[in-house]
Amino acid sequence: MRLAAGVDVGSTQTKAVIVGDNGGLQMLGRALVDTGANVQRAAENGFIAACQQAGVSPQDVGYVVGTGYGRYKITFGNTQMTEISCHARGAHYLFPATRTVIDMGGQDSKAISVGAEGEVLDFVMNDKCAAGTGRFLANAAEVLGLGLDEIGPLSLEARHPVKITTVCTVFVESDILSYLAQGKKPEDILGGVHLAIARRTISLARRVPIEQAITMTGGVSRNIGMVRALEQVLGTKLEVGPDAHFAGAIGAALFAIEKMGESFESGIWRPADAAHTS
Amino acid sequence: MSEAPRSEYRGQIHQQQKDLMLHWYERLDESARTGNPPAVSLMISGNCIELLEGFGAVPLYPEVNALQLAIRHQSLDPILAAEELGYAADNCAYVKADIGAMIKGITPAGTPLPTPALVLCNFVGCNTYVKWFEHAAEFQGAPLAMLDVPFLRTAEPRAEDIDYVVRQLHEIVRQLEQITGRRFDMDRFREAVRCSARVEEAWSRIKNLARRTPSPFDAYFDAITLMGPLYVYRGSPEGVAFFELALKEMEEKVARGEGIYDQEKFRVVIEGPPPYPFFRSFRDMFATWKATAVASTYSTVGGLWEFGFRHDPDHPFESLALHMLAHNVTNRNYLQRYEQIRRYVEEWDADGIVIHFVKSCRLFSAGQGDMRDYFTRQLGVPTLYIESDLEDPRYFSEAQIKNRMDAFFEALEHSRSIGTLRRGAAALRHPAAGAGNAPVAGERLKILP
Repeated sequence: MRLAAGVDVGSTQTKAVIVGDNGGLQMLGRALVDTGANVQRAAENGFIAACQQAGVSPQDVGYVVGTGYGRYKITFGNTQMTEISCHARGAHYLFPATRTVIDMGGQDSKAISVGAEGEVLDFVMNDKCAAGTGRFLANAAEVLGLGLDEIGPLSLEARHPVKITTVCTVFVESDILSYLAQGKKPEDILGGVHLAIARRTISLARRVPIEQAITMTGGVSRNIGMVRALEQVLGTKLEVGPDAHFAGAIGAALFAIEKMGESFESGIWRPADAAHTS
Repeated sequence: MSEAPRSEYRGQIHQQQKDLMLHWYERLDESARTGNPPAVSLMISGNCIELLEGFGAVPLYPEVNALQLAIRHQSLDPILAAEELGYAADNCAYVKADIGAMIKGITPAGTPLPTPALVLCNFVGCNTYVKWFEHAAEFQGAPLAMLDVPFLRTAEPRAEDIDYVVRQLHEIVRQLEQITGRRFDMDRFREAVRCSARVEEAWSRIKNLARRTPSPFDAYFDAITLMGPLYVYRGSPEGVAFFELALKEMEEKVARGEGIYDQEKFRVVIEGPPPYPFFRSFRDMFATWKATAVASTYSTVGGLWEFGFRHDPDHPFESLALHMLAHNVTNRNYLQRYEQIRRYVEEWDADGIVIHFVKSCRLFSAGQGDMRDYFTRQLGVPTLYIESDLEDPRYFSEAQIKNRMDAFFEALEHSRSIGTLRRGAAALRHPAAGAGNAPVAGERLKILP
């Protein structure tokens, strides 16, 4: 079986996926690790963990495509591609009817218009500002003393969501503190926070034609509150699967299998520092 | 991606360009020391360099000084100096670099620039210049003259517009005669206009060579190299010799089938000025993908000649007015700019468009979001929109811009591999756009939901 990998080094988390081609494509293993300060090591650890889960040796993987903001730090990869191409490809693989991808990650969010073959037709991204990204939600969670996993479900309990006027990741803290001082409930504050981000993200996404089916990818897709808020603003349902978080890595792995072609080259796995891989 | 391939042709013109620009700074230096030749500050956009030739005066272009500082990574200090003086963060960064450089005594050549005999605000399309030149005159202690060129609000300028500009040109001539004590040499002026027409013919033919595949030069990055002589020497025999040589070299490249890269992969049209503080790395982002700019709107700021306009020695003043009113991109209305770009895509056989939004230039950049929508949604042409600045390095995020550029070219490559990428006329969703779909002046664009 020909083996290839996609490694998506995001600002917050690194995702790795191993695919096998034995006449048909199979997802064999996947892994998720925190990126942390050592981007190179995160890429290696993610890749090794995905290999372990797939039950294959890193040496048997013939081609690796790196993506995400840290892609140029992947020392063992064959090539790098942008997360825009990879998320489009991954979303199309997960939901072949996908025509629009909304990807919300740790420090950027983007909307991608996708063709019938998973090709990128158009895309827009947030520019030099973390508004509408995972970082915004993480800040809100921190101010409220809640875990990242808790805020989505809690936001669904909002009865009277507050109005968050700022979309600035820094200034949202003072908005939240002032609502707390007014005695507002955390769920109502979170309801407002999620809606504010959803509105900003959708206004960005409307710059590409939003066509059905709309697939959400990226780490924030695991936040049920965000999914519902986006659906509310859009007035339609989003496709969100359990692998949505891995869409970038899946897309990268699909490109890897394609780029590898028939020329299988074993032993591309050369960690920069062998000591920490044992 | 691998290292960016070498993307520049080195011919005789490159040395000559350097020599010409050096000679220009020598003349400015001479003017600074002796007052002879007199220097006149001018704006690049729709410039009337021919008028200066009638006095043997040397032009002083504040934009050229500002961009020279930016290319040499020296623009931030003067920008900060201007901000300390009270210029706001979103003021035009060219203005701040120029004013800040005056305050700090920074000049591109290191030697002092002359005090202009006249600061001539040939206000074409950019209203920021009105205040910029007013401030420049104040800081330099030089007289200021306003040349009010009405913005082109109809498809063609009206007779009254032309007459209005011609009468002002006559006034400027009288004013310059008084200031410099020199008589305006009508023969020399007419000869300058004749030279300009020849330069414009050669320049236009060079630009039309970019319709070939591969294009022999990059109509954005290489065009910038040629734009210095175009604005400083257009009305002189040196300019004619330079551009006729450039045409010959480009024709030879075409005859050899020589492009910029070993293989030209993508052909794009670029809208907006470059990020001068990161000029090299910006060019490399295109070179990495072997992408050539086959046309650009920026190279038509000083004048738009590839569609046929030429200065006319039989009607020198009227042709100057016409040039300033209608034949430069900045004074034309937005729908005319759309049509200019659409023609480039169709006739220069492009795969897509790259729009560079300049944060500190609201005037040129406002509306580019709609422009992107027009090309992507109505015409179906792949269009990339990126933001930074032409002068202020603080607005340039290399990783973010590179990411967008790579994604854009990856998408074009992917579309080509599955057979959906179209080029030129075929790239336009409505091939008959020229007839029915293109916006015309005065017609409101259809706004899509």
